[in-house]
Amino acid sequence: MAAENEKTLFDMDANKYTIKKTSKVGTVLVYIGLLFWTFINLFPIYWMFTFSLKNNKEIFGENVAGLPKHWLWSNYSSAMKTGHMATYFVNSIIVTVATIIITLIAALMATYAITRLVWKLSKSVNAFFMLGLTIPIHASIVPIYVTLSRIRMLNTYWALIIPYAAFSLAMGILICSGFMGDIPKDLDEAARIDGCGVWGIFIRIIVPLMRPALATIGIYTFLQCWNELMFANVFNSKDQLKTLPVGIQALSGQYTTNWGPIGAALVIATFPTLFAYIFLSRKIQESFIAGAVKG
Amino acid sequence: MKKVLATLLAAALVLSCVGCGKSGSAKSGEKISLDMWCIATESDSNRPAYEKAIADVTAAHPEIEFTWETFENQAYKTKIKAAVAADEMPDIFFTWSCAFLGDFVAANRVYCLDDALAKWKNELPEVMLGNTTYDGKHYGVPTTMNIVGMFANMDILASVGYTEVPGTYDEFIECCDKLVAAGIIPFGCAGKETWCVTEYLEPIIEKSIGADALNDIFLGKATWNNPDVAEAVDKFQAMVTKGYFDPEGIALSNDEVKANFIAGKYAFYMNGTWNCADFANDPDGFGAKVKVSEFPVINSGAAKLGQLIGGPSDTLAVAASSPHAAEAADFAFELGRLICHYGYLDGNGLPAWTPYGDTSGINDLTKAVSDICANADSYVLFGDTAQSADDANTYLSYVEKVYGCEIDGAGFIEGLANDIR
Amino acid sequence: MNKKVINNINIIAFLLPAMILFIGVLIAPILLSGYYSLFDWNGFGAKTFIGFSNYVELFTSDAIGFIKALCNSLLLAGLSVFVQLPFSLGLALVLGRSIRGERGFLSVFFMPVLISTVVIGQLWLKIYNPSYGILNVFLTRIGLESWTRIWLGTKETALGACFVPTLWQYVGYHMLLMYAGVKSVSPDLREAAKIDGATNGQVNRYIVIPCIKPIIKVSVIFAITGSLKSFDLIYVLTNGGPLHATEVPSTLMIDMLFLRNRYGMGSTIAVMLIVLCFAFALLINKLFKEEA
Repeated sequence: MAAENEKTLFDMDANKYTIKKTSKVGTVLVYIGLLFWTFINLFPIYWMFTFSLKNNKEIFGENVAGLPKHWLWSNYSSAMKTGHMATYFVNSIIVTVATIIITLIAALMATYAITRLVWKLSKSVNAFFMLGLTIPIHASIVPIYVTLSRIRMLNTYWALIIPYAAFSLAMGILICSGFMGDIPKDLDEAARIDGCGVWGIFIRIIVPLMRPALATIGIYTFLQCWNELMFANVFNSKDQLKTLPVGIQALSGQYTTNWGPIGAALVIATFPTLFAYIFLSRKIQESFIAGAVKG
Repeated sequence: MKKVLATLLAAALVLSCVGCGKSGSAKSGEKISLDMWCIATESDSNRPAYEKAIADVTAAHPEIEFTWETFENQAYKTKIKAAVAADEMPDIFFTWSCAFLGDFVAANRVYCLDDALAKWKNELPEVMLGNTTYDGKHYGVPTTMNIVGMFANMDILASVGYTEVPGTYDEFIECCDKLVAAGIIPFGCAGKETWCVTEYLEPIIEKSIGADALNDIFLGKATWNNPDVAEAVDKFQAMVTKGYFDPEGIALSNDEVKANFIAGKYAFYMNGTWNCADFANDPDGFGAKVKVSEFPVINSGAAKLGQLIGGPSDTLAVAASSPHAAEAADFAFELGRLICHYGYLDGNGLPAWTPYGDTSGINDLTKAVSDICANADSYVLFGDTAQSADDANTYLSYVEKVYGCEIDGAGFIEGLANDIR
Repeated sequence: MNKKVINNINIIAFLLPAMILFIGVLIAPILLSGYYSLFDWNGFGAKTFIGFSNYVELFTSDAIGFIKALCNSLLLAGLSVFVQLPFSLGLALVLGRSIRGERGFLSVFFMPVLISTVVIGQLWLKIYNPSYGILNVFLTRIGLESWTRIWLGTKETALGACFVPTLWQYVGYHMLLMYAGVKSVSPDLREAAKIDGATNGQVNRYIVIPCIKPIIKVSVIFAITGSLKSFDLIYVLTNGGPLHATEVPSTLMIDMLFLRNRYGMGSTIAVMLIVLCFAFALLINKLFKEEA
């Protein structure tokens, strides 16, 4: 149901209204502006790619912005070997995916209780969760560290997954409420008459229909935890558990004056995501937009 | 399907918790496991010394299962403090001496090393332990000591007619003026890391007011409100305004500035003597061009040559919470002694321990530093290590303001006298 | 009766995972921070109760410079609301008109959102590098050598230099949110206005923008709380320097917690941040309600 709604956002193009009155000059100016902004967005990425393949001589003067003259793939092998970028990438994925799964389960269950079950405090509880939207993640670093160490979870993936999931929860519930609101209550009623309990309704009716929410929550959660630096730095000290932001910071400390390997690390950290985005851009945008419209 | 997934995940969560809970105590076989944190990352010049020392000590102690982890300097400060707050320190940890370790000692988180030290007394001069002694008890194993050295690129000095580093302050200023006139930048200093600025400022203050006066200020025995300090700070600031310092330095990190010095961009570079090895081992033969000396005396009424900034700061300490603290203490001493030994051979600074073995292969720069220290009159520890964390950072922010010409000497002493204590 | 009990048990069971996460990781640490903010404490030694002295010192001490840091983040918030959001809105309106290449532009503009902040920070560090950075090199090449600066090292330019990548990165984020709104405006409504002779600008002003007000509200809240919370990018670019010119509350807090060993004061800043974010969220909600 929700999926259909999303599609219409783009498919409305069919009966769109067209630019009739705008003058040619105006249109040209608009395009120049758009192309300029495209350039501003793409150029840093292009420049990052080119300097990841150059030596300092080229970067520092001979050939600042052009394609590399000698493609120096060894920068990549240093980033992989000394920088362990592959490990960090995998770690980031593990942490992010696990966070998404946990956020999703917790948010779905909580939203179900808040929007579908009838009880007095449901509104207050919802407001309580929404507090999470405004809390800065760094504010609670030491208390969380102490707690994690008490329950012996430091230096495990959980040390990041659990706090990340907690901080993504508010957004998750917000999005879920939007999606769940689209599921007609009659379905619950029908299922109840068929003898389903609340759990049965939740698992057989709600969860399958909430599939579109999965992508949306996934994207918002990804944006939150893929970037996170402070917790990742403090809660995990083992090299084999570090995530990308920490790894890149460490590597840039090691290669302050040798830009090539840093560039390579930045590319390794960025391009897989960008490629995935290019192939899935429509889907990703739709899901992102769904979050905005529903939220 | 979802239900199965959820159940599996919940099970995994519970299992992993249980697993984590066990791993702390389960390995109580015959082997003792010891863990260490330090800052000898792969790019750190101390790295080879740590590796060799660890290889030796672990070979001598097959009963100990030793693991170690390294962190980048700034990240480490965050890390170790969070660990101390949670009482989750590793058995052995790297620390800076004086106030940094002092806070941990005051919180009873550090194991007293007096018993373990007895065995090593002969090889570890008491004077090297002063910075890690609190209330008469010893809490740290010093490894290397370092002072601030003034490194000079003799090729550049030769281009303006000098074959030696000028020995008096007036000659020194004259030399800098000549360099500026010739379009050469005299100094490089990383403004992004304020401790680098103190490597210039502290020797200038010390050579103006004398070592004892500066030490008393750092240790809180005398006030910052001292017009002689203001005058010294003004001298330093005059160097900045006269263009002795690379203006780009303010946005650079120390590594970048150091690379510029090696590339021949600056005539002088004042920094810790741990740099000796990197200069001496430079593949392009930079070592042959460099000389190290101390900053000339500015006011001979109060200061004299041989009054240096520095001292033993790099330290290993043992956590009071370690289940094998006694073994960890012995291990730390053996390790510290070897790190010191190998570090000295590599040229990473001077030994805090009495040197042994063949030291003839040490690079000339380190030997020169050795000679300077042999004639030392007194040492004042780096200001950011000597003062407590809060004071040190207030101090650093005022140093930064001086370097940025926001305040002058008078503002410096007045502000510090107000904001510290 | 029995049914009600079961219902309650079910509600609790459904809420349990979220509640445990939320209270354990967010609420409890914040209450703890509030408690610690009343102490002079270095994080591991003995605590001394000092009441609200930390709060007083925070707002009165020049040495800490909290007011300056707060002003910086409010300035960022202001720029975000009055420059970044209108720009995003402009893009959304233009692209929402279904022009040629709409999807391509949309995809490209959203790209920076997906790049890790640390990567963006490292990349812009290189762009701003005084000797070799592309910005200064570019200025020199086109003959504007006098415009070159030590962007991140000069007090006057550092703050601006930190804001540019921050604003740049999230233009796409807000644009896509607003684009969604623009697209969901009923085409009939637009068509009707057009027939009445409204220009594109008038359609936007009187039809589209009022329709997407709720989305603009969300964007404003995100932009302001995001600015108050901003940390990663500034930490990578300048870490508050030079001369505290780019200090924001979060960098100050980390400084207090981990460099100065002033755990009590760090907690005080944390509490202030939460209070501020919350207050702004309420304020914006109220403003939008009054207008509507």
